[in-house]
Amino acid sequence: MNLSTLQFSPGAFLAPSVDWLNTNLHPLFAAISYLVETVLSAIEAALLFVPPYALIAIVVVLAFFAVGLRAAILAGLCLGFCLLVGLWTASMQTLALVTVAVMISVLIAFPIGVLCSRHKTLEAVVRPILDVMQTVPPWVYLIPAVMIFSLGRVPAIIATIVYGIPPMLRLTTLAFNQVPKVFIELGSAIGAPPRSILWKIEIPLAKQTLLVGLNQCILLSLAMVVLAGLVGAGGLGAEVTRGLTRMEMGLGLRAGLAIVAVAVLLDRLSRGLLDRDRLPKAR
Amino acid sequence: MDSSAFTDVFDEWTDSALEWVSDNGESLFDYIRQVLEGLYDGILWLLQLPPFYLIALVVALIGWRLVNVWFALLSGIALALCFWMGLWPETMSTLALVLTATVIALAIGIPIGIAAGFFTALDRFMEPGLDLIQTLPPYIYLLPAIALLGYGPATALIATVIVAVPPAIRLTSLGIRMTPKEFIELGEALGVTPAKMFFKIRLPFALPSIMAGINQSLMMAFGMVVIAGIVGSGGLGETIYGAIRTLDIATSINGAIAIVVLTMVIDRITQSAARLGTGRKA
Repeated sequence: MNLSTLQFSPGAFLAPSVDWLNTNLHPLFAAISYLVETVLSAIEAALLFVPPYALIAIVVVLAFFAVGLRAAILAGLCLGFCLLVGLWTASMQTLALVTVAVMISVLIAFPIGVLCSRHKTLEAVVRPILDVMQTVPPWVYLIPAVMIFSLGRVPAIIATIVYGIPPMLRLTTLAFNQVPKVFIELGSAIGAPPRSILWKIEIPLAKQTLLVGLNQCILLSLAMVVLAGLVGAGGLGAEVTRGLTRMEMGLGLRAGLAIVAVAVLLDRLSRGLLDRDRLPKAR
Repeated sequence: MDSSAFTDVFDEWTDSALEWVSDNGESLFDYIRQVLEGLYDGILWLLQLPPFYLIALVVALIGWRLVNVWFALLSGIALALCFWMGLWPETMSTLALVLTATVIALAIGIPIGIAAGFFTALDRFMEPGLDLIQTLPPYIYLLPAIALLGYGPATALIATVIVAVPPAIRLTSLGIRMTPKEFIELGEALGVTPAKMFFKIRLPFALPSIMAGINQSLMMAFGMVVIAGIVGSGGLGETIYGAIRTLDIATSINGAIAIVVLTMVIDRITQSAARLGTGRKA
């Protein structure tokens, strides 16, 4: 047998099955698309309904009370920059995408993460899958999403959700494993129901690591949302793509800097929550 | 609105600044591009020299030595699959891009990391910069690269190097700082020369961490090289980008499989190499 003349294309086998999925499960995919689009549009509309200056003021005030003065100033500067460079709408679209994706990622990852810390067998099954998921380049996540949901915001958000799950899941498991057994035993000794043990003992003790996971999840989601500009997700990623492909460097640079602003904003706010939480404990 | 006036001025200013830079630094950028592309072409030529089964065999052998028989068999077959899918040239040029970028990133990152390991001040000075690089979405590093170097593999390489350097610096400096005090004191007590102290005491202790850094750099480079398909880097990234744009499902699945295969094989091999280094030292 001559090895070099052998030809094999798994894609050619898989493509018909994707077609089959698209024809037979179309109502399901359409429903998912509709749901995602509705939620996204609602959040986007809410972000854009408020006049930019008012939204900046709201975020600054919230940041001041939730995190601190420095975070508030930084948030004001970052959002102000997005407005100044004329990319307010795109920035809000990106923020809406990240928000929705992170919410869904956390909703999926948190329960699985908790279960993984309770049942070691489940963890043994999930861990290798997570390893593979975190090794694969982010681009690859977009491919199946695009095959099923075509171009646009829906494949972008699906890929982002899947990409954001592993770090959150891993750190949730870690967080719950780190909770000292003594406290849980104390809880059962005084006859607390499992629900109370979870909410009153485990989650407060695991909060630090959970917030680290949230921070990671947010940043990876942002990276993915920006990348998804390539498949027509809109937002800042699309502006960068336009700048890159049409050699409109001014636009590209503005969009790039706006992404920097959004990334710094999200990172500092989520990390600020973490630090604020840490300080009283250190004392 | 005043912001649109600002954006116009900004765009104009950016364009003229870029024009000035490319007018005045043309020879420099050409030189950089030639060096990068020369390196890339060299590595690519080496990778394309042997037939595909030889490379698959060599990788399988390395996998057998470092991981186990099953991994070796699987990786050999998986690489052959890349060929049978008709994506071998693309796979090799992706691999060449990743290797070139990682080599450059390590050449920059490891010396800086060693310096940062010795001088805490330098480490503290670089920390925010590295944080920022790792916080930003990798996609945007293509912008400065494409503005200065234009389309082609050189741009992809520059952007990839930017992404791949931070883990190399971080883990090298961590490794250098992790040398146990007793061993340094032992060295001092024996009166060894600083060079010997570095190569015989500090470096062996730092090696596992440095190896982890190399693995991280490689993985970051993979992520970026695929994205860089949009700027004409060649390789699997471009194949997939083209396939997605035309909704060519079969090709994009094949491309994705090839990338996953390549990434997993390289990741597991370097991880095992790192673990082996640790095991011997412990």
